[in-house]
Amino acid sequence: MDRELTIWLLTFAVGAITYASRLSFIAFFARREMPPLLARALKQVPVAMVTAIVVPAIVFAWPGVLRLDPGNAKLVAALVAGGIAWWRQSATLTIAVGMIVLWSLRYFVG
Amino acid sequence: MAPMLLGIIPFGMVCGVGAISVGASPLAALAMSMIMFSGAAQIVAVQLLAADAPFGVIVLSCLVVSLRLLMYSAAMATHLRPLDQRWRNVLSYVLTDQAFAGTIQRFRDSDDLSANASYFLGTGVLLWGTWQVATVVGIFVGQIVPASWQLEFVVPLCFIAVLVPLLRDRVSLLVFAVSGIAVVALDAMPLRMSMICAGLLGIAAGMIGDRTMRARG
Repeated sequence: MDRELTIWLLTFAVGAITYASRLSFIAFFARREMPPLLARALKQVPVAMVTAIVVPAIVFAWPGVLRLDPGNAKLVAALVAGGIAWWRQSATLTIAVGMIVLWSLRYFVG
Repeated sequence: MAPMLLGIIPFGMVCGVGAISVGASPLAALAMSMIMFSGAAQIVAVQLLAADAPFGVIVLSCLVVSLRLLMYSAAMATHLRPLDQRWRNVLSYVLTDQAFAGTIQRFRDSDDLSANASYFLGTGVLLWGTWQVATVVGIFVGQIVPASWQLEFVVPLCFIAVLVPLLRDRVSLLVFAVSGIAVVALDAMPLRMSMICAGLLGIAAGMIGDRTMRARG
């Protein structure tokens, strides 16, 4: 499928999902409580999903090739950015430092 | 209010830059912000497009990250119940993490529903507008910066900025370890299913860990 068409279809499909989620208890189940099991599962969603999505973007130098050594510039940049995020909870600073580390490694180390 | 508006700017920019980096036209990139209107869903969609995941897998992953909106909807529902349906439909559209965080206390403290609803709408509209402007700036940056700068790396960095502050207790560290190891171990799965499967394993591990911690007191 054409990339642009895919993105438009995704936009409408996911837009329908986000809007339906927002409406859910406000409109559809206005008289119901959230099931406790669902509430317990939802608490774990952010860490679980963000980790599962971000880790492959960092540890694989290219598809299928795991690189857990300092030669992987993305890994080093991500670790430094993680340290910054821990020290100062600033998204702007985290992103800026991460990019600078990536660029420096590519420029000076190659 | 102002710090919250400023706080979403880098995320909106990342959504714009990210969408351009995976080949979206500027209009499609802006439509993502206007229609999905969810940083989490947008960034997940962009990262999975970059990973060449199939359509169904991307939608499913966006569904899982959007489920947290159910929590906000459930918490808001009791307060908004007396409003008519049309108003509830409009207010739902601007229900985001930030709009929820910025207004729920007011709903709990005061019974003046029309004033609270107006405040919520105002907050939501301001956040929506700020989100679109930040996205447009990101789209612009994404278009002028050459591909060799690897600006698409701002997407994983943005995830790191969100993730690290959440790793404050043993259960979240357990979830992090399980999801992170599982996604590498399952990498050979077809259709990029490794991410959603690892995410679900992490959720299950967190639920078990949470229960065990609580049982111990």
